Amino acid sequence: MRIVKALPLMLLSFIVYIVFTGSIRLYDIVTGIAVAVVIGLITANVVVSNPSKAYSINRLRWLIQYVFHYFLVSEVKAHLDVIRRALSPRMPINPGIVRVPYRVESDYAEALVACSITNTPGTVVVDLDKDRRIFYVHWIDVKTPEPEKARLEISELFERYAKKIFD
Amino acid sequence: MVTKIDVFVAISIAIFVLSLAYITSLGGLGPLPPVDVRDIAYQYLNLTYNPWRRFLTSFALESVTAIIWDFRGLDTLYETAVFYGAIIASIALYRGVKITHSRGGTGLSPIAKTVTRLSFVLIPTVAASVALHGHLTPGGGFQAGSIATVVIVLAIIVFSRYFLPGHGLSKERALLLRSIGLLGVGLTSIGLLLISFLLGVNAYIFQNQAKLDAPLSYPSLVDDYTLGGSLLFFNLSEFIAVAFGFMIVFLLLSVSEEDVREVVTRD
Repeated sequence: MRIVKALPLMLLSFIVYIVFTGSIRLYDIVTGIAVAVVIGLITANVVVSNPSKAYSINRLRWLIQYVFHYFLVSEVKAHLDVIRRALSPRMPINPGIVRVPYRVESDYAEALVACSITNTPGTVVVDLDKDRRIFYVHWIDVKTPEPEKARLEISELFERYAKKIFD
Repeated sequence: MVTKIDVFVAISIAIFVLSLAYITSLGGLGPLPPVDVRDIAYQYLNLTYNPWRRFLTSFALESVTAIIWDFRGLDTLYETAVFYGAIIASIALYRGVKITHSRGGTGLSPIAKTVTRLSFVLIPTVAASVALHGHLTPGGGFQAGSIATVVIVLAIIVFSRYFLPGHGLSKERALLLRSIGLLGVGLTSIGLLLISFLLGVNAYIFQNQAKLDAPLSYPSLVDDYTLGGSLLFFNLSEFIAVAFGFMIVFLLLSVSEEDVREVVTRD
């Protein structure tokens, strides 16, 4: 059971090892495999709870699609918006903290949505209420204090992907 | 408002700095360093990797590691021993203080925990790469151990100080692993000597490559890939020793003052 959980972590560790080392000679591959096996086995039970998800090609496809969409579309749009606000002499900001409900289930999906919100300029998750399933988000331009409408504006897209990747 | 005293102080400081610089440039505060590369630096650079002088080189590509673990290896051995002594002293100070895992700590938010979980895989991987390439690129055992310590600090702060002991990494086990690391450093430094007793040939303590009168060497090249001989083993052992040494210290420091006082004032 532990090995099933450890395998995807070993793969992740190995890729990071090779990328960080920046070399793929025999020595790097041999030591990389040894390091990946040890770290994968040690961390398996702490990091992975449902290994079957890690083996799903479909989830990986969604993840790759999300990475491209997030960094090339969502991030660029948010950056342009904040740049416009920062450069405008009138400084058109309307900051505030709003409740944003979320519906994703797993810890990883929750973290992905929260980090996605925080990483886009203009919105920062300042706290979350796990029981009520609410993020408290600081928003540079509060368009609506209504939680459901704020969710549509801020995190609906992130959640849709996070659900497909991790839930 | 600039007063007369301010001007006076500024001028005095300027005069002091200028005269100090003048005296230094004349050699008044000790001999001046030479402008050219010094002899010892030239030797280090020339011999770090030099297949034409097999009896003097250390077959590493990183001069700093070659100096630390080969040319001046004994210094580093004692440094490691001092570090080990400091940790033994901390353990002695905290003697009797139990690091339990019965009380569950709360830690930070679930988001911080999830992201930290992933770094449990990533940070040790990077640390291991730094340790295993210490003879090729900047880095080495101590640096790698320090990187790995980040995981320990993260685990204590993001999860709780009960997290590591609760997952099988108790202070006692860390001490064991730390000792294994130190044993690795010790064994590497006398490894060739031990083998030489069996073979009946000459060898030195802290010998990496063969010398004129001592034919044994640690493996230095595998298929034209530089291994740096003993440097690889030193780095790996030091990595383990430093990572778990720091872990012990951080675990001890995370014990609350009340718990420590309870034990210290008991008798």
